[in-house]
Amino acid sequence: MRRVAVWVGHLSIGVAAVLVAIFALGFLTGSAPAAHLDLPRLFPFAAMSLSVDGLSAFFLLVISLVTAAAAMYAPSYLGAHAHAPGVQTLALAAFVVCMALVCCAGDLVTFLLAWECMTLSSWVLVVSDTRNEENARAGLLYMVVAHAGTAALLVSFLVLAERGGGLDFPALRAAAAGLDPSTRTAVFLLALAGFGAKAGVVPLHVWLPKAHPAAPSHASALMSGVMLKVALYGIFRFAFDLLAVPGGPLPASWGWTVLLLGTASAVIGVLLALQQHDLKRLLAFHSVENVGIILIGAGVAMLLGGGRGPAALATLALAAALLHTLNHAAFKGLLFLGAGSVLARTGVRNMEELGGLARRMPWTAWLFFLGAVAISALPPLNGFVSEWMTFQALILGATRLGASGLLAGVAASMLALTGGLAAACFAKAFGVTFLGRPRTAHAEHATESPAPMIAGMLLLAVACVALGLLPGWAMRLLDRPTAELLGGAGASAAVTARGPMILAAGDATAGVGATAISVTAVAALFALLAALAWALRGWPRRAPRRLAPTWTCGMTPSARFDYTGTGFAKPLRLIFAALYRPRREILKETGPSPYVIRRLSYQGEVVDLAETVLYARVKHWIASAAHEIRSYSTGRIHGYIAFVLVTLVVCLLLFARA
Amino acid sequence: MDAIIAQVSRTLAQAVLLVAAGPLVTGIVQKGKARLQCRAGASVWQPYRDLLKLLRKGTVQSDTASPFFRAVPVLVLAATVTAAALVPVLWTPGGGDLPFGDAILLVALLALARFLLAVGALDAGGAFGGMGASREMTVGLLVEPALMLSVFSVAVTGGTTELGLLAARREALALSWTAPDLLALFAMLILTLAETGRIPVDNPDTHLELTMLHEGMLLEHSGPGLACIVLATHVKQLVILSLVAALFLPLGLAQGWGAAGLGLALGAFALKVLALSGFLVLVESSYAKLRFFRVPQFLGLGFVCAFLALALRVL
Amino acid sequence: MSVELATRLIDILGGLLLFTMLLILAAGQLFRAIYAVAAQAVFLGIAGAVLAAATGNVDLWIIAGITIVAKAVLLPWLLMVVVNRVHISREIESVMPASLTLILAAGIVVLAFHLNASLGPVRQAITGNALPVGVTLILIGVLVMASRRKALVQMVGLFASENGIFFTAMAVSQGMPLIIEIGVILDVVLGALVMGILVLRVRSSVDTDIADLEDLRG
Repeated sequence: MRRVAVWVGHLSIGVAAVLVAIFALGFLTGSAPAAHLDLPRLFPFAAMSLSVDGLSAFFLLVISLVTAAAAMYAPSYLGAHAHAPGVQTLALAAFVVCMALVCCAGDLVTFLLAWECMTLSSWVLVVSDTRNEENARAGLLYMVVAHAGTAALLVSFLVLAERGGGLDFPALRAAAAGLDPSTRTAVFLLALAGFGAKAGVVPLHVWLPKAHPAAPSHASALMSGVMLKVALYGIFRFAFDLLAVPGGPLPASWGWTVLLLGTASAVIGVLLALQQHDLKRLLAFHSVENVGIILIGAGVAMLLGGGRGPAALATLALAAALLHTLNHAAFKGLLFLGAGSVLARTGVRNMEELGGLARRMPWTAWLFFLGAVAISALPPLNGFVSEWMTFQALILGATRLGASGLLAGVAASMLALTGGLAAACFAKAFGVTFLGRPRTAHAEHATESPAPMIAGMLLLAVACVALGLLPGWAMRLLDRPTAELLGGAGASAAVTARGPMILAAGDATAGVGATAISVTAVAALFALLAALAWALRGWPRRAPRRLAPTWTCGMTPSARFDYTGTGFAKPLRLIFAALYRPRREILKETGPSPYVIRRLSYQGEVVDLAETVLYARVKHWIASAAHEIRSYSTGRIHGYIAFVLVTLVVCLLLFARA
Repeated sequence: MDAIIAQVSRTLAQAVLLVAAGPLVTGIVQKGKARLQCRAGASVWQPYRDLLKLLRKGTVQSDTASPFFRAVPVLVLAATVTAAALVPVLWTPGGGDLPFGDAILLVALLALARFLLAVGALDAGGAFGGMGASREMTVGLLVEPALMLSVFSVAVTGGTTELGLLAARREALALSWTAPDLLALFAMLILTLAETGRIPVDNPDTHLELTMLHEGMLLEHSGPGLACIVLATHVKQLVILSLVAALFLPLGLAQGWGAAGLGLALGAFALKVLALSGFLVLVESSYAKLRFFRVPQFLGLGFVCAFLALALRVL
Repeated sequence: MSVELATRLIDILGGLLLFTMLLILAAGQLFRAIYAVAAQAVFLGIAGAVLAAATGNVDLWIIAGITIVAKAVLLPWLLMVVVNRVHISREIESVMPASLTLILAAGIVVLAFHLNASLGPVRQAITGNALPVGVTLILIGVLVMASRRKALVQMVGLFASENGIFFTAMAVSQGMPLIIEIGVILDVVLGALVMGILVLRVRSSVDTDIADLEDLRG
């Protein structure tokens, strides 16, 4: 009975997602004006409403894509080994609905209510598996950071609401137009901090690698693939819509701040991802990296928008950022669902205990491989397309930024570094988990996942391939958001002006410089050459093929000879030791002579520097401050009453002036 | 339509030229090294003979490898030859060309080939493949930022990363190099050593597994598969050399299919590749292989050179 | 020689000087640093000759000649004699990690070129970007002196710094007056001779780690 309920629940989530996707697609490709819907008044002081414009519709599309895949995947996954599947289904439904409401919110109250419910329902998903006590701690850290972020958000929203006439977005927009520059910058920085905490921007990312792996895999896919994007939606909405200077460019410092934060997140995220051996933690750190890449594109768009640079370049940069949002949702969702399959069939998340799964779980393995190629920004998949657009935005933008073009160059080189690091990380993750010999009995007895789970992954894989080979189609989806946020022609004119399968950045006629490539044509040539080489491999004569065990210097081959993930990442751990500060402990137990070693134990650890340097100090400071304050609660009633009296008198003195 | 056919045929002709001449360049470098070491050395056509020999041999495959392992050599060769099709070797682009690929796509295709090789190396199990894959990916990712900065410094004046347009700009500027050009050239030469797997980064002639970077990934391949990968290595080396020639060494690009122009372009290309091969020969014979953890410092020098090139151009 | 050709040649030579400076900074072995500073002096001599041909200033020919003879041949030869005669460690050890020195060098270049804009009135048009390159050479030479342990490498850094001073002087005022230039070169030669004699004679403490001087406390 419970299984039927779970299936029905997820089916309804899936159907709803498909309907929303159809609505969003229709809205994005059509020319209907922004939709507006007034909600019943829940509070006397605020009128709640929903409003859908280009940006909202695009994010609705992102949400519904991953939700549809997760809905297909979840029932089989929960049926296998879940804890409290009913609660998880309900929480998932609430989570998805709240995310959609955040993107459609038309006023302050709706936005914040939906935001809070989104945090709460995802918290339920994080702590739902009570068998592991780490999850409770991860959930607590998540709540603390999320609420700190929401507090910052609340302050920035309220500053705008105080100046303006009402709480709906048009009133906030009008209020922002009248702000002086320093207040506006303060509001922007607060909003950036608030949304950045939720999006996982360095250094506010510490909760991400703890909370995302704790949730069930389809929920991790939604949290990594979609919830982070909803936080980025907030940044886009604030920077380009609410706080936009009418008819002029945004302050350059905003763009540089976002660019710098994006670059730092990208590099630090992928460096920390390399040293993880837990599959889901590795994927969570990669989300930090990709959020960084999106922010790089957004930063360039902020720098070049509003007339400081040619409109086509700003549109290119924003289109790159938004496209990477969609791409990341697709391939990160695929990767998390794949990792979930592995977890469901083997019960193990640690890649050092897996291996040889490609022969036992072929569909999962090769879909995971597709996701790995996509996230490493390798052609011809979608990760490459959005990173190419980001590179072009940086290069073409550098021609307009004068001396600051040097910083854009360094950002581009750091972006190239993260691409290389991501490829190395996924070569390790895929190779150690799926290839070679099985290292434990768990891996040896794994079997393929059931069909619905594969179907969910297949949907996202098709999306990855389609977005890579048909960029014109993707740019059509971005027309409305980019045109509405930046003005000018949409993304299609800026990027795919020469044809649906040609990416053309820049505009030679406007004196901007132009580069055009066709990933589709290159992919076609690649396929042709591969087919040719495969057909010719039987020439001049079909060579005999035999199987033999791998050479292991004459010893019996076993899984102990396979390269470990830690070993794969060790050169990078040494090269970047200054950023990792790795801790290393070797314990030697010797026999009668110091040259005869009975036992050798090696412990190595790489801890996130943000945790040790930043959070440990903040925790220490808060704890000592709390300890100080505790000495004031003496336990005597008279003290407390006197305290209340003093507070009242002070408040009267302070606020009775006005 | 005519223009598209002309352009496609030009692209394919350039790719065929690079594939055919790849092993010859390796042979020339080997011969040059031998002569400098006062040996006679093998003939310059030896790599071709080696490839034919490998094609005739049988394949021995590890029993732990998945079916993907058989596809890896074919995919790697396809990716490398696709990259070869993107380099402007003999012709400058005509107007209104069908866009194909640019510098970033070329670097990404080579990165794809390296990724596939690394994953294939981990497929067969065993420690040597993993070690070679780990080291090759490490060196590969350290090359990427410096390479991007060099491309950036060359592309930032023209505002384009299309290789044909950059080669045409270099043609037009002829011999008027500037300081940023020189510094970017020096950076690219340092990166060439890393990307082609030559001393001081990697020793292509070593037979000791513990000193192998690139070769370590090839240990489990044999027969025609190994022939594909070795050919891909030769082609990749020539692609990198022709990339350096196209971006920094001017003169000699043809316009149409005229015999005189083509002959001149072919001769000029041969001269440029010979000069760069001479550079490889000199460096390989003068230096020893660096310890693996000294390679990041060496590549850091290339990064700072490229950074200086961009700084001089922008500031 | 036309002014434009001279400017272009000095531009290119500036780039070559920067590259040799990076080689000195990144050198792992002593003789590589010495060869690099010798090459630097050759490029400097050529730059002086180019400027002399363009402006017709006879003094500059003499200075270029002295630079090549003294700083490209004599001083490196002297250093190599010391290195070969005395069995000191050939490796260059540094106080801070190599990546940090490279980052600092990059920062110095950016700083110098940034200042170039405000130093506009001082430099002449004919020497192109010689002024920021010269400032960079001086500062990176001092960086080499500050970050390396052994005395011989610090001498190389001093020579490189002096090259930078000459290049800067060239950029600002067509070289220093002949008498001052000869004086400076004599000073450098004298310093090198003194250092060479010290290192050769005091054989027991030849592997002088400059840090050991900290023991000389009251």
